[in-house]
Amino acid sequence: MSGGYPQPERSRGVIALVEQNCTVCMLCVRECPDWCIEIDSHVERKPAEGPGGRPHSVHVLDRFAIDYGLCMYCGICVEACPFDALFWAPDPGYSALDVRDLVHERDRLGEWVKDVPPGALPAGLELPGASEGSQPAAGGPAAD
Amino acid sequence: MSAPFEEAVLRAVLEPALGEGLLEVGTATGTAYADIAPHRWHDAVGAARDGLGLAWFDWLAGVDELEEGLRVVVSLLAPDGAHRGHGVLLRTLADRSAPQVPSLVDLFAGAAWHEREAHEMFGIDFAGHPGLRPLLLPDGFDGHPLRKDFVLASRVARPWPGEHEPSGRSRRRNLPPGVPEPGTWGAGEAGS
Ligand code: SF4
Ligand code: SF4
Repeated sequence: MSGGYPQPERSRGVIALVEQNCTVCMLCVRECPDWCIEIDSHVERKPAEGPGGRPHSVHVLDRFAIDYGLCMYCGICVEACPFDALFWAPDPGYSALDVRDLVHERDRLGEWVKDVPPGALPAGLELPGASEGSQPAAGGPAAD
Repeated sequence: MSAPFEEAVLRAVLEPALGEGLLEVGTATGTAYADIAPHRWHDAVGAARDGLGLAWFDWLAGVDELEEGLRVVVSLLAPDGAHRGHGVLLRTLADRSAPQVPSLVDLFAGAAWHEREAHEMFGIDFAGHPGLRPLLLPDGFDGHPLRKDFVLASRVARPWPGEHEPSGRSRRRNLPPGVPEPGTWGAGEAGS
């Protein structure tokens, strides 16, 4: 990380993926002008749940990758996602010595969610693994 | 406190200098802009620089507006004073068949590289520029790659990630915008 240099909250540092919100609709992949998002998925049948429920099919994400060697930070994918799954985080600290190492997969994209300014995330979003009280985790060590 | 430029301020400086050459003044996403007739382009930028304290050349770019023409946009900012850090956009539309506007290099030396880039990418001629050599494209590159009718060859060669169908159903092959039907362009055509 760039130590101490202030980053405005609106900074387009990296795109974070809230995986639980992604429905695999493919809109971001198709709108991206640089073709730098790749998604793989498969369909699973889910049994009926609750009273009146019916069995249904869901899309399950197998791969979500963004190639930051190609991305031009236009933000079209973030704007296009109708399901609140993509957000800007101000973190610029992911340089690499080889362009191939700039392809970041869903795990890393998910870790960046903790850096998204809390005000940018949808109200009431509960992230799996977040501490009780859904307090947004601060990047870096605590102040006191 | 520094404030953005109001349309009225921009108009007050450009109208006396340009008369009919000032086509329109407006505001877009918080920034005042003025549309200038192409033959008054150099006068407009000079008047804005000297009359509004816009001594900071921010950038110059082209936009392919299809049948409307090729647009040239310059962003000028105020380095100090009451509008410090704010600026205006000046825009002009060049005729697509022979796009030419006056160069700004004598007003802002830093415009030279931007005009070279707009020249190679859009085919816009900047009259009076000291040398419109390619800036980013390799020697001998054919065509103007930021014009909307330019076919991006790598897009024909590489599969589109948007083709993946999440339901697993296969459907008619989707083509992304800007990629011609197979066989209508490139190796398929030339090799036959
Ligand atoms: S910011 Fe733009 S270029 Fe980058 S992944 Fe999103 S749509 Fe693609
Ligand atoms: S647009 Fe949003 S929901 Fe749709 S595939 Fe992309 S990230 Fe997932």
